[in-house]
Order: sequence, then structure tokens, then C-alpha cells
Amino acid sequence: MTALMQPGFWVFILTMSGIYGIFSLGLQIQYGVGGILNFGHVGMMALSSYTMAILIISHGINFWIAAAAGVAVAALGGAFLGLTTLRLRGDYFAIVSIAFSEIVRYVIYNSDGLTGGVQGSLAIPVIGENYPSYTDTWDSIMNRARDILTPIFGEIADREFVMAIVVWITLGILLLIVSRIERTSWARVLRATREDDEVPAALGKNVFRFRLQAVIIGSVIGGIAGIYWGLESSLLSPDDFLTLVTFYGWMILILGGATKVKGLPIAAIFFGFLYGGSRFFTFWPFSHLDASQRAYVRIMIIGIVLIILMMRRPQGIFGKRQEMVLE
Amino acid sequence: MSFGGVRAVNGATLDVEVGSVTSVIGPNGAGKTTLFNLISGATKPDSGTILFEGLEIHNLLPHKIADRGIIRTFQGAKVIKRLSVLDNLMLGGQDNPGDSLVNFLNPKARKAYEVQCRERAMELLKQIGIERFADEYAGILSGGQRKLLDLARALMANPTLLLLDEPFAGVNPTLVEKLLEVLHALRSKHNLTFLLIEHDLETVMNISDRVIVMAEGRVIADGKPNSIYENQAVIDAYLGTRKASK
Amino acid sequence: MAEFVQLLFNGLVEGSIFGIAALGISLVYSVLKLVNFAAGDFLTLGAFTTFFFATNSHLPFIVAVLLSMLLGVAISLILEFIIWRKLRKTGAGMLALFLVATGVAFVLRQSIALIFGSNSRKFDIDQIKTFEFLGAQIAQAQLAVLCCASVAITVIALFIKKSTIGKNMRAYSDNPSLASVSGINVDRVIIATWTISGAFGALAGIFQGTVQGQFTNGMGLDLLLSILAAVVLGTIGDAYGALIGGFVLGIVMELSTWDALLGGIPSTYKPVVAFAVLVIVLLFKPEGIFGVRVRKI
Repeated sequence: MTALMQPGFWVFILTMSGIYGIFSLGLQIQYGVGGILNFGHVGMMALSSYTMAILIISHGINFWIAAAAGVAVAALGGAFLGLTTLRLRGDYFAIVSIAFSEIVRYVIYNSDGLTGGVQGSLAIPVIGENYPSYTDTWDSIMNRARDILTPIFGEIADREFVMAIVVWITLGILLLIVSRIERTSWARVLRATREDDEVPAALGKNVFRFRLQAVIIGSVIGGIAGIYWGLESSLLSPDDFLTLVTFYGWMILILGGATKVKGLPIAAIFFGFLYGGSRFFTFWPFSHLDASQRAYVRIMIIGIVLIILMMRRPQGIFGKRQEMVLE
Repeated sequence: MSFGGVRAVNGATLDVEVGSVTSVIGPNGAGKTTLFNLISGATKPDSGTILFEGLEIHNLLPHKIADRGIIRTFQGAKVIKRLSVLDNLMLGGQDNPGDSLVNFLNPKARKAYEVQCRERAMELLKQIGIERFADEYAGILSGGQRKLLDLARALMANPTLLLLDEPFAGVNPTLVEKLLEVLHALRSKHNLTFLLIEHDLETVMNISDRVIVMAEGRVIADGKPNSIYENQAVIDAYLGTRKASK
Repeated sequence: MAEFVQLLFNGLVEGSIFGIAALGISLVYSVLKLVNFAAGDFLTLGAFTTFFFATNSHLPFIVAVLLSMLLGVAISLILEFIIWRKLRKTGAGMLALFLVATGVAFVLRQSIALIFGSNSRKFDIDQIKTFEFLGAQIAQAQLAVLCCASVAITVIALFIKKSTIGKNMRAYSDNPSLASVSGINVDRVIIATWTISGAFGALAGIFQGTVQGQFTNGMGLDLLLSILAAVVLGTIGDAYGALIGGFVLGIVMELSTWDALLGGIPSTYKPVVAFAVLVIVLLFKPEGIFGVRVRKI
């Protein structure tokens, strides 16, 4: 249990919660506002983080440009997905979106020369003799920030601490922006399309364009989550971007109440504890299991939570039951 | 045009005069709603053309047709249940700067539009008598109230031609009166043209300048309300004495 | 030429497996409006339990197969009674169905991993014996699978078309309220649907394990996407479409690796081919091959 007592652990959880929170926000604007069932969201994270890593490691591009390029590629991914498949009916789109992110992962997995394939970002071809790392610039910034903060906060202010602050400030800013967007008439049109395509179209709204925009914005946010994920992890591997991760995002979204953003931060923290904390389920009956088996149990628990959540409280912690009933 | 082997509208030729109230009547399955779907762009014709103000519209997407001023209501009155009544109306606002994401950075323009749109919407709500529901979910409205909302929403969209699909079905007579009042007022004020589908023959005869009768996908009669009463083909179609043509 | 025949045959075999699995998914969708994301794991379960019964418990292979199918049916029905029934009662929307199906998939997959471990398994059957036909090497195992799959497909096609329950299933999927009002035993229809889906899921997994040789607990998931592609291609909810979609995709996927086609696509990219085909077809027929075109936005 001593590991649980270490403040460093909780800071790590906080960071991961923040990153998954950003990820989930990208889903919120697509589903909560637009009713779009995008199950391929993790693909945007994969696109942004790998793009950044490849540009820095293989081409020596400046960190800031590479990160921006990563987010741009995620946006392009969303645009591609939307342009090719958003006209399909909702359940077809859901299925095809999973295929999209799986194919992204697939291509990453099989393109050793570009992405390092199964060995991950450590195997990305490097220019020059250097060790393949994409976090150098970021790390030095983090260290500088840590040096500034240590006199104020004391021992706890390590790199992880700074990372958590940066991630949560970003999440806060994005939450503000998205909640503003959700008060515009653009969002109103999207909300209408959740229920019916014909009515908004009969009033002159180009439903396809609105949906595409929602997917692209969501993908940009997902891309930002991917960048932070890559920086936090220092190491990328195609197995980090399984469809499983998309469903983490969905779980946070449902927990927080899909239609409004205000529940999202708390839901993200709850998820962070569930996910990270379950690593420490060393008590009975889990003590009988080895580490890899505990990993299985962790995912099983997430599956069970998903099931119970949708069966018992689909409006989440903060959602309105009335809206669900009118569906 | 055909649906799974059945020709829903087959060789219907008709025109609608500007500023008139034209009603389309006919027995069930005559193809009336399909006709509306063709005009509004919800369905694409297999052959033929549809002209509106001189422009061919049959190949346009529904939202483009609505842009040009053809606004329709739906059978059964489709309201967006999880939006407020007011939001439903404001959905009808045209050229709303807030619809464009670029204007996210221009809150002033967005707000200015929303304010005047809201005023128009509240005005309409008052006219049709449901302003007390303005902030309620539209899902709680009764069937008749939804019809009113559907109509008001169509009016918000600056229509030139209003396609009304059974606007009076299931509405109690007092509300029908109210609806007709609103329609008359607007018609003169904005020179609107109406094309209605309606089953209540009495109402149809009272308000229409012209009546078009459809049966089995064809136009079988077209003229002033009085002339329709005496038209044998119309009587046959309604009484079903006419044999189905193959 | 030999390679073409080889690939065609491989495609037929793989296509029959896809078809069987896709049929189960399409049936469940048509009756219950649910996209069963857990279907892939039923394949894995079928393969692993057959391995367990045949190799560990030394039961005759055919008995192991039947027991596995039974288990697949049993689990499907248990899930129906403790989850799907309740979910339908609360009027769950599309998202709820998707997320619960995903949750079920997670639980199933991890349970299989916990119970059977993560090692790869292999059936105790002759994988090596082959015949020659038009220059291609036809494995006995493949031929056996193709024959059994064809039998299963024929049986189920006849069942759906001719039997009372089959007709009721079709009537219910076309118009649920009308069907229940006209006296169709809806419960029986639902149970029949899950029975077929559970049995066929297990069967598809067993067939795949036979043809593939080594399999791990990711097997079902690896196939799930291609199977879903077959379902959507054939128009979701259309049982015959699922079969055709399965065969079409199986054959196209194999043939895409043909040398003669500009060197052929590397075989690791076969699922990508499946989806490319699907997206292209959907661009022209958004409802799938057999769907009715509905112009929306």
C-alpha cells in the first residue's frame, strides 16, 4: 500500500486524467452536441503523436512546429474520415470509424521504416547519431518550470507536477472555448441534427457541413490530447492506441453527462483513479493474480463499469434524466 | 418516381401561381407527400423537371432548396424534442452569422442577430398562443401545439413558397381558426404562396384559390374549388369506382 | 494461374468463415437492432473451448465442437436474460447498445485471457495434408472447413426461409409492433436469434482455428473488423447479404495479394483492403449492396 501513499503517484494520475479529459472533450463536441458516434477517436491521438515524433526524430524539425503539425494531421484525419463516411447512417459511421483508427494503428504497426513498427518510437529512423527521443525541447522547458516552482511548492514540484499543471491549464482553456462554442447557433443546429436530419435541412442548414466541422474540431482536440500523451509517455507504440482507449474517452463522456461539459473534469479524475488505482489492487482476491492477469482484470472492470453505467445511469453524474427520456 | 417497384408519382404536371393558396387533395397513396418530397428535395425524381422562380431545383439538395425560399412543414409536425420551443423557432433563422464557425471570433455580430431573432420568435409564439412554453422542451407540447410550432418555425425561415403537409390534421377547430388567421395575415403582408396537402375538404374549399386532385400518382383534376366538386374523375377516385390502371 | 486458383480457394474458405460469423451478427441486428461488438470474442471462445475439450480433455473433436457451440449458445442466452432484455426495457438508444456491447466484449475477452492464458493454441488436427488442384495446394483442413461451412450455410438459409420461426424472425425484423400484435411469439424469435448467433459464432471461430493453425486470444478481434465489413457490405440486417458480403470480401482480400495485380498488396494489409472495398461500395450504395437508397443530406 505504500505506493499509494506516494504523492508522485497521485500527480501522475492527475496528469493522465487531464490528458484523457482532453481526449474526451474531443468526443463531447462530436457526440454531446452533434450526436455523432465516433468510435475511431484514438486514431487522432495516434496521428498527432506519431507525426510529432517522426518529424522531430527523423527530420529534426523544431518541437513547436512538429507538435502543431501533429495536431494538423489529426485534423486532416478527421476531415478524411468525415468526408468519406459522414453521409452514412449513424451505425455504419460508428463501425467504419472504428475501422479508421484500426487502420491507422495497422499502418503504424506495419511501417517499420517510418514509425518503428512494433518496436515503437525507439525504432524510428534517426537523423544523425542521436538517441531517438522527441521530448528534449519539452523536457528542458519542464525542467526550467520545475526550477521556478520548487521554491514555492517544495519537494513535490518535479517534472510530473509541472506536466500536470500544464495539462490541466490546457484542459481548462479548452473547456472554456468549447463551452462558448456550445452556446452558439452553430451548436444549436448540431443539436437539432441529433434528432432529425430533415428539419434542419428544410430550414436551409447544410447538415453535412455542420457535422464535418464537429468531427474536425473534435479531432483537433483529440490531436492535442495525443501530443500531451506522447510527451508524458516519452515513448510511443502502436499498442498504446487500441480502440480500447477510445472507449475510455466514451466512459468519461458518459460519466460526466454527455450533453454538457461541466461534469467532464470530475469524470476524468474519477476515471484516472479507476484506471491508475486499479494497478494497486494487490489485496484479495486480486492477490492471487500476477501482473498481466491484473491487467486483464482492469479492463474487465472497465467493461463492467460501462455496462452498469449504461444500464443504470446513462445520463452520468451530471446529466439530466429528462433529456434521456425524451430521446 | 418509383419506390421499390411502385410508381409513387407518375407524370404529374402542375404549376403553382405566386401569391395563391393551392391545395393538393386526393385519396391515401395518391402521391401527395411524395410530391412534396420531390419539391423540397428530400427525394430525387427519376425523370422530369421542377422549376422555381425560373430555376431548376430538382437536382438540388434540400437545404439549397430551402435557401431559395421553399420551406416545408412535415406530416405529424416534426419538432426537435430536446430543444426548447424557442430554440426550435430560432433554428429557422436564416443567414445567422452564428452558424458559421468563423464568427466564433465575432461575438458582437452573433449576439446582435440572436437578439433580433429572439424578438421575432417571441412575437410569433405570441401570435400562435404558446409563448408560455418558450423555454420548455418542445417534446412536452401536445400534437396540436406541435403543429403550430412547425408552422411558426417555417415562417421564421423567410419563405417565398410554403409547403404545408396536412397542417390542420388533428388540430382542434379553435386552433384551426387561429392558424388560418395567422396564415391570412402573413399572406397579405409578405405575398406568400401556399401549397397545402389537406384532407379536410371543407377547409380546403374555403381557403383555396385552386385545388389540385391527385390519385395513383397522377394529377386528375386542377382548377377552382367549385369545379372540383362536379368533376367525375375526382368523385370516382374518392369513391374508388375507378379501376386501377396498369 | 496456379496462384490465382490458390488465392481464389483461400478466399472461398475465408469467405465462408466470414459469412457464417457475419450471418450471426446480421441476424442479431435485424431482430434486436444491436450491433454485437462482442461477436468477435465468441469466435475466440469457440476456438479455445474446442481446444480445451479436444486437446486437454481428449474428447473426440466433433464432440468438442458441439460442446463449444452449446457453450456459445448458453452464454449468448445468459447475456440476453441478464443484460439485453433489461436494456431493451429501458428503451436504450443506439449509443447505449454500442457501449454495452463493447463492455460485454471487454469482459468476455479478458475472461478468456484469464481462464485460458495468453499462449497461442493449435488444434490437434492434420494441418499438413494437401491435395493438388489446378496447380494449387488445397489443404485438407481447408476443404473440410469449406464443406462444413457450406452445409451450415445451406441449413441455416433453408431454416430462415422455410421454417415457421424463420418466417417469424423475418416478420418481426420487418415490423416488430405488427409482428407481436399478430401473435408471433417474440420471445421465441429472440431466443432463436441468439441461439443461431451463438452457435455460428463458435463455429466460425472453430473453422478459423482449423484453417489458421496457431491462434491466440486476439483471434476473434483480429477478424471482427473484416466480419463487420462483410455485414455492412451486405447491408446490415440482411442475412443473405451477410453471406454474400462474407464471400465477396474473403475472395477480394485474398486476390488483392496476387502478384499479377501490380505486385499484390502485402498480406498483412488484407483488412485494409476489406475496408477500402467497403468504403468504396458505400460511396455508391450507402446502405450496402442490398440496401434501398435513401437520399438524406
